[in-house]
Amino acid sequence: MGTKFDIRYVFEYFVKLLPYIQISLFIVASSIVLGLVFGLLAAIPRLYRVPVLQRLSQVYASFFRGTPILIQLFLFYYGLPELLKLIHIDVTRVPVLVFVILVYGLHSGAYVSEGIRAAVTAVDRGQVEAAYAVGMSGFKAFTRIVFPQAFAIAVPILANLVIATLKDTSLAFTLGVMELTGKAQTLPTMSRHFIESYIALAAIYFIVSVVLERLFLLVERRMLKHERETGNADRVPLGKKWLKKRTNAGLALSKGGNRA
Amino acid sequence: MKLDFSFIWTACVGLLPAVPTTLKITLVSVLCGLAIGTFVALCRMYRVPVLHRIAAAYVTIIRGTPMLTHLLILYVSIPLVVDGLADRFEWSFRSAQIPMIGFAYLSFSITAGAYLSEVVRSGLLAVNKGQMEAAHAVGMTTVQGLRRIVFPQAFAAALPNLTNSLIGMLHGSTLAFTVSVVDINAQAEILATTNWKFFEAYLAAALLFWGMTVLIERLSALLERRVTRYNRGGVA
Repeated sequence: MGTKFDIRYVFEYFVKLLPYIQISLFIVASSIVLGLVFGLLAAIPRLYRVPVLQRLSQVYASFFRGTPILIQLFLFYYGLPELLKLIHIDVTRVPVLVFVILVYGLHSGAYVSEGIRAAVTAVDRGQVEAAYAVGMSGFKAFTRIVFPQAFAIAVPILANLVIATLKDTSLAFTLGVMELTGKAQTLPTMSRHFIESYIALAAIYFIVSVVLERLFLLVERRMLKHERETGNADRVPLGKKWLKKRTNAGLALSKGGNRA
Repeated sequence: MKLDFSFIWTACVGLLPAVPTTLKITLVSVLCGLAIGTFVALCRMYRVPVLHRIAAAYVTIIRGTPMLTHLLILYVSIPLVVDGLADRFEWSFRSAQIPMIGFAYLSFSITAGAYLSEVVRSGLLAVNKGQMEAAHAVGMTTVQGLRRIVFPQAFAAALPNLTNSLIGMLHGSTLAFTVSVVDINAQAEILATTNWKFFEAYLAAALLFWGMTVLIERLSALLERRVTRYNRGGVA
């Protein structure tokens, strides 16, 4: 299988793969947007304990977190047309990309709903009480007080999700979508230099995920500004470095601004 | 075409022979990954010269690239290396003799090792430093202190993350079909194409995975209650 390793092919394929980043990123971006919508829809019934819907959203989150994304892809790609055919809707002409984005959207939606739940519950109860005390309505308290804080907590969760989704998009090739992985598998069919192509592929994924990580770190710093300022004022100067770190973590946790 | 609900059950039964393969891949990769991960985490925590840099690079690179690329790279490069070595040293062993599942074991172990090293590291960091100092104070060596004092507590702290990794690897094992290992996913595809019942076959596979995931979560919750017994608050 394959021929002698030749580093030049790595660079060649690297350049050839570059344009396909946008397809992968497009899948990631649209499925995350879709996932945020699904996730919010699924999280609200559980946060406000809406009777039947709460159960439904639990089942939804459990199913999409409890089954492999690959199985979900196949299930929706092959299953959904059959189901829709029963109610006489023909989706055989819908492009594959739509299915892929739908599945990744549903998949990330399950994680988003859990993330939202964790973030909102991490905001100190006293914040809502204080908002009510100054006369805000329930909706105002949520949008002005809880949401900004919860969002700051949720940024690292979201960052992880985006990077995980990026890596998961490598599975879209199984349905024939020509994204990074799919292209990396077809490029070397002539030259038989598969290793070089896969190494270039891994390098691209690595670079993209590192860049994404950095970007989210910047956003997180910006969002947690309010926490850091108070955190600095409270910092107790202690001799040992690790002790200081732990004290700070403890302080942040009690404020409900930690990423716990 | 009508949906055939009885076929979901038939497919579930048909998928059962493939369950051991999936479980084997998952368990082997998690156990090997745990060994690699513990070694890597210790290297990084004790700042072993040279090794801790390699360990950090290993973790960053593996965590920054999809699991599929690890499998693909190993799948195409190992035969090249093995055959090259076999030519040079005149072995009778050829790469074609490597069972396909071997690639899955190796690749997933490497993947799991990187993720688990972070789990182990966070678990070890969660243990109060005073515990190790106390272990030293009563005359234990570092290895003894790690094994008897730190690891049991770190295990309790890391258990939720460990469960998540185990589930992640269970789900990741579906990638093994790319190197033509017949796991649950591949078996579902076989059942789907031979019977032309895609929805039912994949739904059966999904239900099977769902069941296994829920089972692992439940077991882990039970285990967690057992291993965190030492520091539960309150009386009694």
